[in-house]
Amino acid sequence: MTPTALIETAVLLGLLVLAGGGYGGLYSAGRIWSRPGLIRAGGVCWIAAFALALTIAIRSPLDPGWKLLVLVSAVVYAIIPPMTWRYLERLHDEQESQR
Amino acid sequence: MYRSQKLSLRYYTAAVALFGVMIVFGLLSALYYLFPSLLFNVFNFNMSKIMHIDTLVIWLLMGFLGAVYWYLPKELGREVEGMWLAELMFWVFCAAVAVVAVVFLFVQYGGANQTSLWLINQGRKYVEAPRWAAIGIVVVMAVFAYNVIATCIKARRMTGIMWVLVLDLIPLLAVYMDAFPADTNMSTDLYWWWWLVHMWVESTWEVLIGCVMALVLMDVMGTSRRIVETWLYIEVMLVLGAGILGLGHHYFWIGTPQYWLSIGGFFSALEPLPLLGMVVHAIYDAGTHRLKTNNQPAFYWITAEAFGNFIGAGIWGFMMTLPQINLFSHGTQWTVSHGHFAFYGAYVCGIIAVLYVAKQQTSGVDMLAGRAWKWGFGLLNFGMVGMVMGLLLAGMAQAFFGRAIGGSTLMAFTSASENPWFVSGMWARMFFGVVFAAGYVVLVYDLLTSPRRVPAPKAQAEPA
Repeated sequence: MTPTALIETAVLLGLLVLAGGGYGGLYSAGRIWSRPGLIRAGGVCWIAAFALALTIAIRSPLDPGWKLLVLVSAVVYAIIPPMTWRYLERLHDEQESQR
Repeated sequence: MYRSQKLSLRYYTAAVALFGVMIVFGLLSALYYLFPSLLFNVFNFNMSKIMHIDTLVIWLLMGFLGAVYWYLPKELGREVEGMWLAELMFWVFCAAVAVVAVVFLFVQYGGANQTSLWLINQGRKYVEAPRWAAIGIVVVMAVFAYNVIATCIKARRMTGIMWVLVLDLIPLLAVYMDAFPADTNMSTDLYWWWWLVHMWVESTWEVLIGCVMALVLMDVMGTSRRIVETWLYIEVMLVLGAGILGLGHHYFWIGTPQYWLSIGGFFSALEPLPLLGMVVHAIYDAGTHRLKTNNQPAFYWITAEAFGNFIGAGIWGFMMTLPQINLFSHGTQWTVSHGHFAFYGAYVCGIIAVLYVAKQQTSGVDMLAGRAWKWGFGLLNFGMVGMVMGLLLAGMAQAFFGRAIGGSTLMAFTSASENPWFVSGMWARMFFGVVFAAGYVVLVYDLLTSPRRVPAPKAQAEPA
């Protein structure tokens, strides 16, 4: 790994998680305050996360196994916020119906 | 107020005082990087670093103990069993910490013999306290475990949170046994030592703070028990699932078999995922309550915990956890940057939230608001973010110039340490460290002053 590739790859990995977090944060904020614009902005963040994962897969000198892991992670980032959200809503609904 | 809650306030006081000591030695440690000959042969960098890290471990531990002693009687509806022993242990704990601090400050080190090991320094990184003090910590933790378990038995009542807490006490105590060195082979020794460092921090402490946060959420936001308990089980499952084998990222370069590269890299890469779930949960809770609560400081610190944990452990961790990157980044200021952010996000924010819960309940006000806590919140967070950015810059300079270009030689290390990128990063760390210290002063001021009496908003009482 060249010195430049080292820094580039590390920054891309960090940005990937940041974009994934941005998606989760904006998606949740959009849902809670019923702001479709925020949900769309969250979608843009996820697209950025996937683009970053693709860039890592294509450009970085990481081993193929790690590249695959990064790509799969980016896909999983798409699933977690809506899945968590649905689960939280169901949990709260059940709680409400019990009261 | 229960007797154990009075004990809890003592633990909080000791924790906050040690938090201050940690900051003082953090600032001093930062100064050595800017003025390497500072206090040379009077009080060297290694001792300052020991004081900084050991006080971090102790003040957080005291914060956890305080939080559990605070909530235990509320959770089980009775006084904690064996209080006299718990109170005795508090003073034993404080006295031991004071004696060890005096030894570290004035004796510092001894010969390579059993006397030094027992009385001066155990020589084990992060748990340097001499062996008598390490045994003392085991006794304190054993009494703490007895208090919790005996209270549950006497109360004839177990909640989901208490089950998780009681089960967590076993590894909490067992893993600390690794603080006692037993092996002269460095690889084997480090292999087990990481069980202590990683398993405490990324497993048992995570579970402990999860239990504490579950209790705080019920207290501050009125979240229902069923919701916090269900969420606690999921969090514990996910954190342990990724965290236990995430231990492997410490095994990359200590002489362990090559398969740890794959195991460590894979499970560490999974670690940000449950943290993302926590962010979603934090926003859900914040939104459900429309940011209204009768304890604003605690609420904001809980929220900061979710975000800080994700950014510090998730983003900062993922940047450097894959073996091909870690080969260059481990042991640089880059790691220090990750360590600062992750500890702050995962634990410090949570403990500060608990302090504000105690402040509200001891002062008897319906609503805790005001302005000072906002300054403390802002300065501490701003200071921490600035510090970790400075450290990240310095660490990347070390990895780039000292490791990737220079090939990790001593000469490369020295020249990287003189590189302008590294030096400016360390100056930034110093500056923001002072900002953080100012935040600490405001925090202490706010905790010690009586709050204004403001009527509580009606919307808050509704559980989510």
